[in-house]
Amino acid sequence: MNTLCQGEMLIDTENDIVMARKSVREAAVTLGFGVTDVTRIVTAASELTRNIYVYAGSGIMRWHSINDSNVGLELVFEDKGPGIIDVKLAMEPGYSTGKGLGMGLPGTKRLMDEMDVLSEIGKGTTIRIRKWLRQ
Amino acid sequence: MTTQNYDKSRSILGSDESFRLLVDSVSDYAIIMLDTKGQVASWNAGAEKNLGYRQNEIIGRHFSCFYSSESVNEGLPEKTLKLAAENGRYEYEGWRKRQDGSRFWANTLLSPMLDSQGTLIGFAEITRDFSERKNADYARSLIEASLDPLVTIAPDGKITDVNAATESITGRSRIELIGTDFCDYFTDPEKARNGYQQVFRESMVRDYPLELRHANGRVTSVLYNASVYKDEDGAVVGVFAAARDITERKLSEERIKQQSREILELSTPVMQVWQGVVAVPLIGCLDSQRTQQFMERLLDRIVETNSPVALVDIMGVPTIDTQTAQHLIETITAVRLLGAQVVLTGVRPAIAQTLVHLGIDLSGITTRSSMAAGLLVALDLLKLQVVKKSENHRGD
Amino acid sequence: MPNGTVSVIKIRDILLVTVPSDPDDITVSELQEQVLYAMERHSAKGLILDISTVETVDSFFARTISETVKMVALMGGLSVLSGMRACVAVTTTQLGLTFEQTLTALDVDRAMDMLSVAMDDKGDSA
Repeated sequence: MNTLCQGEMLIDTENDIVMARKSVREAAVTLGFGVTDVTRIVTAASELTRNIYVYAGSGIMRWHSINDSNVGLELVFEDKGPGIIDVKLAMEPGYSTGKGLGMGLPGTKRLMDEMDVLSEIGKGTTIRIRKWLRQ
Repeated sequence: MTTQNYDKSRSILGSDESFRLLVDSVSDYAIIMLDTKGQVASWNAGAEKNLGYRQNEIIGRHFSCFYSSESVNEGLPEKTLKLAAENGRYEYEGWRKRQDGSRFWANTLLSPMLDSQGTLIGFAEITRDFSERKNADYARSLIEASLDPLVTIAPDGKITDVNAATESITGRSRIELIGTDFCDYFTDPEKARNGYQQVFRESMVRDYPLELRHANGRVTSVLYNASVYKDEDGAVVGVFAAARDITERKLSEERIKQQSREILELSTPVMQVWQGVVAVPLIGCLDSQRTQQFMERLLDRIVETNSPVALVDIMGVPTIDTQTAQHLIETITAVRLLGAQVVLTGVRPAIAQTLVHLGIDLSGITTRSSMAAGLLVALDLLKLQVVKKSENHRGD
Repeated sequence: MPNGTVSVIKIRDILLVTVPSDPDDITVSELQEQVLYAMERHSAKGLILDISTVETVDSFFARTISETVKMVALMGGLSVLSGMRACVAVTTTQLGLTFEQTLTALDVDRAMDMLSVAMDDKGDSA
């Protein structure tokens, strides 16, 4: 019940997206998430690490378990890329500037329980997502 | 004090007179000499202070006047003399009566006095007022009797005292605990630190949740109530913290959650009604959580039973709003991704009206008004036909 | 690395492609190329993309698969996506990926049936 897990990894190459999926899957399974939630979390991580790779070139993914009155998993994606011009617009369904399907951010938000996007033009983007263990 | 003065005083110190002075200067102890029968033979200043009688009032009286009438009736004073004479000493605690009738808790040491031939010539009694100590012991015994783990913490976060309940919940003795960091015994030391610091800041906290870790690793969920305590001058000395074990409460909350989860699952049974057909009657309101759960169960069952058709019956759903309809469409889409198809049945007139008024497009979805009609669609999709048995085949 | 291998099996005029469980982007891109050339080489009429072992479908994977299905259609072939896991279907739907133009089947058996029926119909009309 009180498993603490945390870690961080550099997202620098295309293969790091696969590695990120593996690490996040392991963390989510360890915390006791069901198979569907694990898939949701891993898919969200896949979307966000790919965003880092495609838009910023490189960045960092951090994850850690939350162990308050609620148990959950928090993932933080940080890059020093170009930033998002209009965060609100980027959260609208159908928005995309790159190679994705335009599902990226709003789709990811729907997979998670919480999502915060902090972005500054020319400085970079930090995205924090959380999923609570359904009880 | 000069050497000369000291030399002068030494001759006095050796004398009987000086011993008399010593005995009289001890004001916290009643030092009394009794004769063999228990009559007071000598009386010091401490005796006067503790028991109230002046020397001239008490000399020659029997020492049973220090006892309550009940004790006297029980023969306690004589008994103590007898025990002291037999054992060489006798120490006991009990209530004593002052001259004014008030009483105090006393600790008494009674020693027989013998002459050079070994004959009993009397008793020396030393009595101390233990009332304060008794009060402290009483308070302590209450603290020890408390089932709630109690602890006091110094401003630097070190434990200054614990009770027995704290020993048992941490699996560590008083000695081990005192002087160590309070925070060390919790799963989240930082949170524990914030907790007692908040007490020093705000002078109290209520229901502060923490998890205590036993030496064997077992974790107990507790709620802390804590406040600062002060010395006689009103300065804050430390924090007094009482924990309440809420494991039981958490367990029962967990049980209730588990039960409501089970009820939730019960309320959406996914049944296989034909080889290749599963059916779900949805009953009651569809909130997000329930739809989520329903969707997952339906998809799992479709895969498990390898069923290309799923009948989703909404006859028992009282109302449908945009959100619910969205969830249904999502479910239908997900089912299609699996390679199966949803037939939506039990679409009552009121629901049909609502769906059209809300502008919800279900045109890509096969819908039927009843489960029976839906089953026919399902069989058709599976290229199956239901044929009435002919008379000839009856009894085969 | 078995994870990187895409198996392509030809059964009569159908290609059965098994997608590895957690493919990287390069594997997914190469899969598209491999499938298209195999369709041409074998003059295949049908394609079954078996994704029953795939644990994660993100937007990149979905886009590549959808594109492949469209390209195969342009080459005159019919594709069926088979064996998507329940957890993946839920996630994919929530993410907003619906594979609208793609045929789906519960498993390879049913995908084979679906393709034979469709190809027979085509043969009749030709």
